[in-house]
Amino acid sequence: MARSVWKGPFVDGYLLNKAEASRASGRNEIIRIWSRRSTIMPQFVGMTFGVYNGRKFLPVQVNENMVGHKFGEFSPTRTFTGHSGDKKAKRG
Amino acid sequence: MPASRVLLGVIGRPHGVRGLAHVLSYTDPPTALTGYGVLEAEDGRAFTLRWCGEGVAAITEIRAGAAVPVADRTAAERLVNLRLFIPRARLAAPAAEEYYLADLIGLAAVDPAGAALGEVVAVHDYGAGASLEIARPHAAPVLVPFTRAAVPEVDPAGGRVVVAVPDEIVVADEDPAAVRCASAHGPDRDATRSQAP
Repeated sequence: MARSVWKGPFVDGYLLNKAEASRASGRNEIIRIWSRRSTIMPQFVGMTFGVYNGRKFLPVQVNENMVGHKFGEFSPTRTFTGHSGDKKAKRG
Repeated sequence: MPASRVLLGVIGRPHGVRGLAHVLSYTDPPTALTGYGVLEAEDGRAFTLRWCGEGVAAITEIRAGAAVPVADRTAAERLVNLRLFIPRARLAAPAAEEYYLADLIGLAAVDPAGAALGEVVAVHDYGAGASLEIARPHAAPVLVPFTRAAVPEVDPAGGRVVVAVPDEIVVADEDPAAVRCASAHGPDRDATRSQAP
């Protein structure tokens, strides 16, 4: 069952406060978080979080398309190993 | 330095009795493998592929300029686990700010002052931007976002990337009971509630 709309999206309060403080500082920094359950809010866009996957903190660069998803969706807990082939990475 | 050739696929188990075989493609998308034309094996043999189904291809070996199709299952069985490469020079030039993973992996990572940090061992991308995993000699690997701020200089030809490791803020779970339900309709409806112990 989906979460009730009247409750609004869930986000850990301390995370919201820290993100606001980090945005105010305007520095190049990663915010390490364990809160995989928190919803990505519009005020997180442009920030980089290190989301714990049980072993390490994977960098998650938040963009507009990620708003409404959970942080944990972008930090898989299972190791995937593949070959690079002709795949490309774009520098953000 | 970038590798001189790039692994693009591996021939797998035979499929049927007409010489078809499963082919594991590492290209993006996987069907693009046949678009590279002649693929080379490690021992110098050359092959071309033609898709005949999902993940199944007809294989043709190029011998002295002549095309020799793999016609039966026995011949296909001899090709199991054959790795297929192309020379790095045959990859198309990437767009601006794009880099082949094959070019990034293996580069030396240095800090802005020029001191060695380690080596790029993997590039991760799980839908939230690419990140570089840098193995350090006597420390745990470090993951840095592949952004202009964290990786200001990428020089595949020179065999190095300049990495400005970002500061990290640790957000401790100061009050696990305190959670915030922020309304999607605006901050004026934000409310903080406490869960029952």
